[in-house]
Amino acid sequence: MVRRGVDVYLVEAVERHPSTDTAFVEEGQSFDWAHVRQRAGDVRSHLTEVGVAPGDRVAIAASSEYEFVYALLGALGVGAIVVPTNPMSPGPELIRMLGPLEPSMILSSPMARSMLDYGHDAPAPVFDIASIRERSTAEHPAVVRRDEDETALLMMTSGTSGPAKAAMLSHANLTWSLANMCDKNPAGMQADDVVLCALPTAHVFGLMVITAVIRQGALGILRSRFEAAATLDLINNHGVTLLGGAPLMWHRWSADPGAPAKMTSVTRALSGAAALPLEVHEAVLDRFSLQICEGYGLTETSAIVATSLGQPDVKPTSVGRPVPGVEVVLVEPDGTPVEPGDTGEIVVRGPGIFQGYWNDPDATDEVRTADGWLWTGDGGAFDADGNLFIVDRLKDVIIVSGFNVYPAEVEEVLREHPRVASAAVVGSAHDERGETVAAWVVGDADEASLRSWAEGQLASYKRPTDYYLVDELPLTITGKVMRRELR
Amino acid sequence: MNPSAAATANEALPGSDMANKLLVGPIRLAAKTLWDLTIEGLENIPADGPAILTPNHLSFCDSVFVPVSLPRRMWAIGKGEYMDDWKTKFIFPALGMIPVDRSGGDAAQVALNAAARVLDAGNLFMMYPEGTRSRSGHLHKGRTGPARLSLRCGAPIVPVGHQGTVAVQPPDYPLMKPFKKVTVRFGAPMRVEDHGDPDDPRTMRIFTDAVMFQVAQLSGQQYVHTYANAPEPETTDVGPTSPASTGATSPASSGAGIPTPPGRIALPPRRPVPIVDIRSASTAPAIAP
Repeated sequence: MVRRGVDVYLVEAVERHPSTDTAFVEEGQSFDWAHVRQRAGDVRSHLTEVGVAPGDRVAIAASSEYEFVYALLGALGVGAIVVPTNPMSPGPELIRMLGPLEPSMILSSPMARSMLDYGHDAPAPVFDIASIRERSTAEHPAVVRRDEDETALLMMTSGTSGPAKAAMLSHANLTWSLANMCDKNPAGMQADDVVLCALPTAHVFGLMVITAVIRQGALGILRSRFEAAATLDLINNHGVTLLGGAPLMWHRWSADPGAPAKMTSVTRALSGAAALPLEVHEAVLDRFSLQICEGYGLTETSAIVATSLGQPDVKPTSVGRPVPGVEVVLVEPDGTPVEPGDTGEIVVRGPGIFQGYWNDPDATDEVRTADGWLWTGDGGAFDADGNLFIVDRLKDVIIVSGFNVYPAEVEEVLREHPRVASAAVVGSAHDERGETVAAWVVGDADEASLRSWAEGQLASYKRPTDYYLVDELPLTITGKVMRRELR
Repeated sequence: MNPSAAATANEALPGSDMANKLLVGPIRLAAKTLWDLTIEGLENIPADGPAILTPNHLSFCDSVFVPVSLPRRMWAIGKGEYMDDWKTKFIFPALGMIPVDRSGGDAAQVALNAAARVLDAGNLFMMYPEGTRSRSGHLHKGRTGPARLSLRCGAPIVPVGHQGTVAVQPPDYPLMKPFKKVTVRFGAPMRVEDHGDPDDPRTMRIFTDAVMFQVAQLSGQQYVHTYANAPEPETTDVGPTSPASTGATSPASSGAGIPTPPGRIALPPRRPVPIVDIRSASTAPAIAP
């Protein structure tokens, strides 16, 4: 097991990895660290030639692809601020999102076809990463090392409840967060790990997994589109040891008949990006003998706030304890800490707190105080052992006659109905009660049986008054329900 | 629990059973004579074994009407100061008051321990879930104390809602006005296990809110999800963070155990804190059923 220092500058980390060690595998092709360095140098050359200067924004429209890896290292290596961008977003949406960031260049992977198609309308020149010409190492400009307080990344927040904003993460934020995923955690990622990189890199969870591979010199198995069967074969063929996934991915893996035999190499299982349903946790434990460790974090906290990875006692449905160096307090709406054991809004301070939203000090001030506390908008509760349990987005809480209804509680009851596949509830305006609960249900249950099911298990104010039977729920790239689409 | 065991256990509690009998009988008779007292739901009071009674709190005289409505003796926490006054020193404990010195460092924990003693001996214990009298007349957010006590002692919560006590004794009025109508209602016993996993800390708030919902049904009050003594919510024009308003200087621990909360944490500017979020516009669902 190779342990490196905690203060690792990402771009320089690759310089130290053994040249002939395989760095990434994609579609049967292997790339060693020498190749990663070569291609990152080529990108530096290209960006320098076209005049990209430190502090300029460079968008990378790519998924979990090899092009993303070296484009990221190349762009950071000239001191640019990288904007990881979802290549599957429709062109007009990408253009609308990137416009305000005034990027100098948009680097696009082969996957980001729509980006190239809309190239003529794009807010900056679009360039196909794979077509960047190879140069001799002598031609590569030296890496520009930025101060730790300079911005490294602009992450578009997924925004399940509001418009997308660009969160500024500094080099210090990134360094700190990666150290917590690696050396600082007793079960963190190490150089001898084999890691599946199948999460979208435009999401902070996926970005942290792929950059941790780069930092540690581990082996990354790249997969740009998620399919349960294909990823299971990758896990099996390459002997994946550390497996991170969103709840939807874990659900699909746990439901695959051939999965148990293909999961035997996995020693650590991580879930993030959304709450993991207890039934998925139990199915994975039952079928793969794997205890999924959940984590909690936001884009605005550089991901990690709490995790049960590396803890001796993993409690299902808990996101574990806060990582060292992070202060987590649960508060009432007026900022007073809640009584022990009570539920309150999670407020966080620490080295991972972002620098603010790009060009939007007002939006920044709405979530972060002058003394560095970030109001997450999530509800949570601590158990007596200091394990954090997440309640819900507070904006999603439905208020019926003054009483709080937590969507997760109602959704769990509905999901337990034998003929329901998934369910989401939102508030619906009501003249007398303020709001009532409206349920969107996927499955073949009829309304009458849903009503009597809810009656047996929920207090009257929590029971949905309206049911909508639908074929599917609108989901984000990480499988979170987009509630604003249902309201 | 057999009667003799209960009697033995009760010896550790303040106020003798005999004094209680001698006092409560006449008070009950007086209450029923002087006021038009209606009692509903008595079948919900367990004939024996522990239970936690959680009434709404509007008037000082709530502490008279709820106990006299009960078929069994009950206990409750009272201010330690009553023990310094000769007028109340013997009467209040005999009525079931357990004196707790509120000036102490961990008064809440002392009170809960005292309550646990009452319940572990198989008795009824009453506590106001709002923590204090509601001046607004609304039913306020419940404290999680009753829920935690219920879990710790395996005692059900019997929600209690009453009406009419403010007319008997308005706030700051020293006497009880006779001949008014008072109604006390007891709801069906509630248990933590029916509201979620007792080991999950989120269950305490869910259970507490469920109890308050039943209290609201019984008392007919409008519920508001803020504490009865909460300061007015800050409005939209909170200025820049001042050291006095943050108080968040003591570092919170992290990584092990429950973080020690710092003082109050500053609110971000322009952060709206609605008491009740009632959306005025009626919005139709975006997706047709």
